[in-house]
Amino acid sequence: MKKQLLFSCLILLLGTTVFSQAIQFEKYVLPNGLKVILHEDHSAPVVAVTALYHVGSKNEDTARTGFAHFFEHLLFEGSENIKRGEFDKYVTNAGGALNANTTQDRTFYFELLPSNQVELGLWLESERMMHAKIEQIGVNTQREVVKEEKRQRMDNRPYGSFLNEVLKRAFKVHPYKWSPIGSMEHLNAAKLEEFIQFYKTYYVPNNCVLSIAGDFDKAALKEKIAAYFGSIPKGTLPINRPSIKEPALGGEVRDIIYDNVQLPGVFQAYRAPKQGGEEYYAFNVLSTILSGGESSRMTKTLVDKKQLAAFAGSSPFFNEDEGLFITLALANMGVKPEVLEQGIDSIVNEVKMNLVGEREFQKVKNQITTELVSSKATMAGIAESLANNEVYFGDANLINTELEKYNKVTREDVLNVARKYLNKDNRVVLYYLPKPKSSSK
Amino acid sequence: MKKLLNIFICLLPFSLMAQNIDRSKAPTPGKAPLIQVGNPVKFTLPNGLKVFVVKNTKLPRVVASLNFDVDGFKEGDKAGLAEMAGQLAKRGTITKTKEQLDEAVEYLGGSLSTSSTSATASSLKTNFPALFALLSEVVLHPSMNATELEKVRKQTISGIESNKDDADAIAGNVVKKLVYGSGHAFGEIMTIKTVNAVKVEDAKSFINTYWKPNIANLIFVGDIEPSVAKQLAEKYFGAWKTGVVPTQQFEKSSRPAKTYVAIVDRPSSVQSVVTVASPVQLVKGDANDIAGNVMNNILGGGFSGRLFANLREKHGFTYGAYSSLQSNKHVGIFSAEASVRNEKTDSSIQEMLVEINKIRIEQIGEDELSRMKNYLAGGFARSLENPATIANFALNIEKYHLPANYYQQYLTNLAAVTATQVKSVANTLLIPSQMHIVVVGNAKEITKGLEKYGEIKYFDIEGNEIAAPVEKKADASLTIDALLNKTIQAMGGKESIEKIKDVQLIGKVGVMGQSIDVVQKIVQPSSAVMLMSMGGMVISKQAVVDGKYEVSQQGMQAPITDEIKEGLDESTYLVPEMMYVNKGYKLAIVGIEQVDGKDAIDVELTSPSGKKSHRFYDKETYLLVKSTKVEKGPTGPVTQQQYYKNYQKVEGVAFAKEAVMDLGQFKMNLNFENIKVNQGLKLEDLK
Repeated sequence: MKKQLLFSCLILLLGTTVFSQAIQFEKYVLPNGLKVILHEDHSAPVVAVTALYHVGSKNEDTARTGFAHFFEHLLFEGSENIKRGEFDKYVTNAGGALNANTTQDRTFYFELLPSNQVELGLWLESERMMHAKIEQIGVNTQREVVKEEKRQRMDNRPYGSFLNEVLKRAFKVHPYKWSPIGSMEHLNAAKLEEFIQFYKTYYVPNNCVLSIAGDFDKAALKEKIAAYFGSIPKGTLPINRPSIKEPALGGEVRDIIYDNVQLPGVFQAYRAPKQGGEEYYAFNVLSTILSGGESSRMTKTLVDKKQLAAFAGSSPFFNEDEGLFITLALANMGVKPEVLEQGIDSIVNEVKMNLVGEREFQKVKNQITTELVSSKATMAGIAESLANNEVYFGDANLINTELEKYNKVTREDVLNVARKYLNKDNRVVLYYLPKPKSSSK
Repeated sequence: MKKLLNIFICLLPFSLMAQNIDRSKAPTPGKAPLIQVGNPVKFTLPNGLKVFVVKNTKLPRVVASLNFDVDGFKEGDKAGLAEMAGQLAKRGTITKTKEQLDEAVEYLGGSLSTSSTSATASSLKTNFPALFALLSEVVLHPSMNATELEKVRKQTISGIESNKDDADAIAGNVVKKLVYGSGHAFGEIMTIKTVNAVKVEDAKSFINTYWKPNIANLIFVGDIEPSVAKQLAEKYFGAWKTGVVPTQQFEKSSRPAKTYVAIVDRPSSVQSVVTVASPVQLVKGDANDIAGNVMNNILGGGFSGRLFANLREKHGFTYGAYSSLQSNKHVGIFSAEASVRNEKTDSSIQEMLVEINKIRIEQIGEDELSRMKNYLAGGFARSLENPATIANFALNIEKYHLPANYYQQYLTNLAAVTATQVKSVANTLLIPSQMHIVVVGNAKEITKGLEKYGEIKYFDIEGNEIAAPVEKKADASLTIDALLNKTIQAMGGKESIEKIKDVQLIGKVGVMGQSIDVVQKIVQPSSAVMLMSMGGMVISKQAVVDGKYEVSQQGMQAPITDEIKEGLDESTYLVPEMMYVNKGYKLAIVGIEQVDGKDAIDVELTSPSGKKSHRFYDKETYLLVKSTKVEKGPTGPVTQQQYYKNYQKVEGVAFAKEAVMDLGQFKMNLNFENIKVNQGLKLEDLK
């Protein structure tokens, strides 16, 4: 008996030691307001140089939607010292990779480089922040690229427009009602001066986190950072941070979208709280119960047992001000969307009726633990996570404490969020149905 | 004191700024990082299972993957068997159903997957031994359950179905079959027929034959001691019995005697998928391996390749153009590929061949060569961040019998590649006079001009050669006037039609299980109404009465545009063919199309406002059998197709008693049960 007890204690101990490897980092602020986060790790000869600007589509003027995302393109055009079209080439020629992405809350740029090229990353990002080229020719070029991107990613991709379609129905007043791609008409109408103004407002050191992770010498790197970024002046223009509160949806919204799809799709989006609170973690647990892996409820029941769906999933879509909880499924050949929707609804009703079983709950916690550990596998992932946590919660160290937040979630918490939010009058339901085939001539 | 310190800290970055940087050009890179490619610990179990352990303690997790050293399977009329057997293996064991197995794996926070030649499991270190036991159970004792096979089959067929409409997928299949040959294991294509031929015994026998320890490599990567890995391997795979695995016989794939063009007709294409490809003899580790990789990347590797620079940046034919060069023990493949606008198909092939010729003839500059070496070296360094890279290295060394230090020496060997070597390897591997040029696209629009590259042959989407498509042309002597007359005649003749002053059609529409009542009334010359109602409630009304237009949906009035007016006016024409010429419509016979298996004459109709639509008249009866028009939908244009059936004469005039509106997912069937004419309807009856 005693032996057994000792044994369980040992297991407990083992369990905790697994997570003792915290991500060490240093955080400091330059006099111009630039936040710097450095994580030094010599396990592979790589480095991720990232810059996160706290500007997304929600900061945009209602008559100029798409600006934040447009900048994500425009700022690869070059700078005073980087010729047009050369930005990428410096990185690819160094064997690196680079890209950027825009959400409703922030814009994120990164360069992944062999570690001896870390200074190249600093040069590129500081040029981008200091004196990017905002010229008519670049604006014209990138406008076409963005249109092409919209065609490829939204218009031409099956179900590609679903986020747009969901957002505009889920939000009536908050700027979350439009997605980062925004309006092509707005971009067409915008004058060069407006782009320059946007750059001067948001692309300033005091609106940015420079997060670097990888194989470097920290002392030497700090000197270089000061040299490249220290002389960039602090921004002085007011930054628009909307404080609009979105009222309750006040009734179910339903619609049908015809698209180039083979299989009908059912998308349900429930309004949900903003990211970071206790309910946010409960929602993530709930999502894993519904669709985390083969044994999850939606996959097991809809895809495997009843074979109603070719794919079924759920995803918290949580942002700084508001959130959505989305469930979606693509019908199998010959399955009516109504039948599929009933299938999803009965699974959702089940989590509202009864507490999740203890073993299932433990399974989901184990899955989340694995996922959190794995998210620290790459320098790019660590750098982004540190920056996100700093900007959204003022706490870069959340990367090390997030697991505790999940451990605090109880089965009752999951039941409570399901009951509170997963209600019909709080959701948008969209059916995606195949467009008729064009006649062949 | 504290305050002072703060001030000092604030000043610190400024003092550091004294360091000189030159912003005007890119900084010079630091000393090349020392790249250490660790050697895995290696041992072999008595049953022949080779085990490799790559210890990496950065994260507390472990991945184990078991790989069977087979290169491909000749499956013949059961193409798809290996893939399906590989998927079936993880759908239950002799002691656990699929559901139980999935739950057991995920309870450990782990994942487990299988394919025809591999089985992989990964989890956090703490749960790994338990997960590894499950991996062993899946590999040694899969249930290979017949019901589960049916689910795999259904998914596989769904995949094939959805690929039928995907030009890239079609190109992939046809290129594979033509380059390797249909007799070669690599050239086989899965079809619904071959997938349906796979029996559960076939899948069992596949696993029993090929999943044997004597052809397997087991690789552990992650936070695990080699001694622990060894214990686990012995405990769970030690008793695994060896077996005689048949060696695969491959036919030789050879280049075509002469370059030719293979066209797969896809009439709806607005882009052509163009591939220039041939088999190559290239094995990892041979003399041409690294130089071949350099050559291919210069030609078409990513955004910095010459194909991209030419076809996208210089000419704007495409969004991207790339090449690939794959080595293989038996036969490798070179291919250059781009999706291009229809009208640039010919020019794109031209430019692809220009680039292929150029890299064979002109020696590349030292500058371009050294940039490419930096690019490849940087990519190599970055790939080491993933511990699985080291595991792959170990696997390749084993599989291709490479020298043990192949990857340690990789950067040195890369640095030693010369411009002369690049040119020579291009001449060995790329033979422009012996290429397959495969084009998936709209044959009618793109074929002209392609004969200059070689003989033109046609293939179906499964890569079988077929006859050239014959374009059916309408009888050239048939004029629009003659056609309209024949249709009017078929509808009952001018005289009978003109006798009809009013019509009332009563019918029902079935849509998704709901029934809607439809009433349509026409009073000549120019008034009509259509009412749709459900359970007595009017849900939609469209009317033009005495010059007043009205469109409403559930009581809401829609704004009346010129386009709507035109449409409503058309709805008053009993036989529109009698009206078109007078009303200023333009008509043109544009071809022949099959409608429900019969030839129909395709007429393009342009309304006075410029709106285009098509009407199809049966070639024998001259009755209208189909019409199509493009309407604005919420996400862009939607083509509506309407079919007309079951013509019956009332008072000598033909009416289609059935119409089918096809909106893709929705098919609405309209059946008129009751058609009455000349009842003396007045305009008031239309309100």
